[in-house]
Amino acid sequence: MSVSVRKTPPAAAPAVRRRPSPGALAATAAAVLALLVPVLLPATQVSVYVLLLLSATVVVGLSMLMGFAGQVSLGQASFTMIGGYTAALTATHGVPTWLGLLLAPAVAAACAALVGVPLLRLRGHQLAFATLAIQLILLSLVGRQDWTGGDIGLQGVPRLRVAGYEFAGEISYAYLALGALGLVVLITRHIVASRPGRGLRALATSEVAAASSGVPVAVYKQTVFSLSAGFAGLAGGIYAFYIGYVAPGSFPVLLSFEYVVMVVVGGAGTIWGALAGATAITLLLQLLNDIGTREGMPASAPTVLSYAIYGVLLIVVVLFLPKGLVPSATAWWDRRRASKPTEE
Amino acid sequence: MSAFLQYLVSGIAVGCGFALLASGLVAIHRVTRVVNFAQGMFAVVGGMAAGSLLSAGLPHGAAEAAAVAVAGAIGLAVGIAATGKRGTSPQSALIVTLGVGFLAYAVEIMIWGDSPRSHAGLGGAVTLFGAHVQKQSFLVIGVAAAVFALLALFFGRTYTGKALSACASNPYAARTMGIDPVRMGLVAFALGGMLGGLAGVLLTPLQPISYNSDVLLITNGFAAAVLGGLNRPVVALAGALTLGIAEAMVAGYGEASYQTVVALALMLAIMMVRASRRTALQEEAAR
Amino acid sequence: MSPPVIEVADLVVRYGTATALDRVGLTVRAGELVALIGPNGAGKTSLVNAVLGVLRPAAGRVQLRGRAGLVPEGRQMFDDLTVEDNLALGAWRRRRAKGARDTARVYEVLPQLADLRGRRAGSLSGGQQQMVAFGRALMADPEVIVVDELSLGLAPLVTADLAEHLRALNAERGLAVLLIEQNARLALDLCGRGYVLEAGRIRAEGTAADLAAGPDVADAYLGGRAGGKGER
Repeated sequence: MSVSVRKTPPAAAPAVRRRPSPGALAATAAAVLALLVPVLLPATQVSVYVLLLLSATVVVGLSMLMGFAGQVSLGQASFTMIGGYTAALTATHGVPTWLGLLLAPAVAAACAALVGVPLLRLRGHQLAFATLAIQLILLSLVGRQDWTGGDIGLQGVPRLRVAGYEFAGEISYAYLALGALGLVVLITRHIVASRPGRGLRALATSEVAAASSGVPVAVYKQTVFSLSAGFAGLAGGIYAFYIGYVAPGSFPVLLSFEYVVMVVVGGAGTIWGALAGATAITLLLQLLNDIGTREGMPASAPTVLSYAIYGVLLIVVVLFLPKGLVPSATAWWDRRRASKPTEE
Repeated sequence: MSAFLQYLVSGIAVGCGFALLASGLVAIHRVTRVVNFAQGMFAVVGGMAAGSLLSAGLPHGAAEAAAVAVAGAIGLAVGIAATGKRGTSPQSALIVTLGVGFLAYAVEIMIWGDSPRSHAGLGGAVTLFGAHVQKQSFLVIGVAAAVFALLALFFGRTYTGKALSACASNPYAARTMGIDPVRMGLVAFALGGMLGGLAGVLLTPLQPISYNSDVLLITNGFAAAVLGGLNRPVVALAGALTLGIAEAMVAGYGEASYQTVVALALMLAIMMVRASRRTALQEEAAR
Repeated sequence: MSPPVIEVADLVVRYGTATALDRVGLTVRAGELVALIGPNGAGKTSLVNAVLGVLRPAAGRVQLRGRAGLVPEGRQMFDDLTVEDNLALGAWRRRRAKGARDTARVYEVLPQLADLRGRRAGSLSGGQQQMVAFGRALMADPEVIVVDELSLGLAPLVTADLAEHLRALNAERGLAVLLIEQNARLALDLCGRGYVLEAGRIRAEGTAADLAAGPDVADAYLGGRAGGKGER
């Protein structure tokens, strides 16, 4: 299963509607495919799809943060964790689950807003390390508090109930996750195409230039940061109800790195890139897992293979495909079109 | 009193290890402006390699030296990957070092497995004012001190060392005089590799390491280095020792598991204080 | 006649889409004093960087026959290193040659530096730093010395002193000089021949006397005259 990548419409979409662009067609095709997948896949594979969708939800936000605001976050899984724990904690203490699900992104975004004020004054590698440090601190603290269940975490999170419907099976969570992803994509698309969106893109190249053009740099950075945290929190919240269990071990530092790999490989700053990256990496990891757990492979094989792939991918993509898969593919496509004498 | 002394000495020893790592980070960053995320990995490789060489029969001293050399070679390789291609920005180079770190995990697990390993250092302990102190701690402190003195001599007295400082100080002028910043960068990376490897070789007898020990090492190394803006080795040294001692005290008197939190919180606080003093213009100019 | 020490032909330098130098050509022969004058932003430093091999041109040919020593714009000291170390590093390209790093020769030519040898370069005055930059360039034992903005940020007396050093070095050692300067008068007083660079193009060339007397220099600085010798 793969998302077909065709020419994407320009990010600053014109307000006037012309005939459906290849990008809009691709988006529709992808949406239809995404809706059909849960019923087409064998039951055992649907869980992979759910996790893919949840990763993609986080990665859309992270891609926006890294591509637009130009901030590398090595601790994005912190917000997934905050979302997951919020949902789990509220649900296990009698709060209606639908409320818990709404609280998850809200709390994550609020935390990001709080932390962001001092944090976003840092730049480049300092911000990268700071986000990593925050996740390490969070993991350490959460793992030691009794009320968060310590190292073992929180078990027995009740199933999600919304307006009388209980999300019980794999397929129902698949559609829930798909809905969340769709929501997140719509929000991002709306922001990217708006005036603030252009200001955001200016941020990525040069804050000084953007600021002197009147872009309220600090506010924008903060907004993108909080929004991306909210997306991650939403994914975390769904995860909590889906798995029924959260622990520090569910949100390791490695998960944050996975998100970064997805963003880098797919192409930072583009929605298609985020989707492509999340899909590619999830499928790759599944493949590696299958290979690694075959007969005769040592117990550490899956871990070794996934690390090796992360490493190779990061190096190869950064050095040879610096913009990531999707922008490189669209650039290649554009060059082909430009060299063709006839109109498409 | 004896407990305090014990924590103090082991804190200084670990702090020296952090300082070696931080020196490597600073050396690399000054010359190339790249933050080497793989710095902790050099220590892990150094420690593991020393263990393997000792088991293979190499005598003490030779095994450790060889392990440091191996780490230096790996440092060079990381440098080539991160800076070898023209036009790689420091941000991209950072991600490349991250990628190399992952690749290294895979290789390390394949060669040495995923459980913690250790090797024998200077065995035994002495009793100092009632405190039980491992001899290895003194070895760590002594060797680190000697290495720092050598580094100072290298950068201050040798022609190549001065050229490295020149690259760090004014890259444009250096280039106009024929000092190749890429080559100098690779020298810095090799040096960083050796320093990291040495840290691993020295610390492993005190604390077993495994493939993911590099996270804590680089976190502490970075925390120390960032005090001096990643550019001032003496400040990094002071910071590393402080971190080592602070963590040992927290572990000894408080909860061992909170020691990382201490380092990280300290680093964050310092970074944010410094950041609030610099403006965006200064940051971009420095990039 | 021996080939020129510096020969630049059809040089094109671009930064992204902006063209800094557009088909620039110049020559400096052994023992010559040549001036390159023009206003700020004309592209002079790009030319210097191309000649020294620091910059790769988009097109054109640069030939440097012999060693070039550079006195960079703004001195460009290694601030944290001593004067002695700054000088020693000037010999980097020749470091394998015996005695290359010996700074005694420089102290002979510039005795004022001898008193400053242990001082941190960042703590010196502008004029002193410029002298160190001179010394650094000399350490390369060059055939030609390229001076980028001799007078920038320096008092006239200091500048005159340095110009005199250049003249002496040229007269006594046959050192060729390419002097890049905003101060046209200073440059044309010192040099026998010159080029006028404006907005990335050579606008005029000729002997110093001709250039000083003609309109091109003034026009380059003042942006052309209305109804003048039309060009572009």
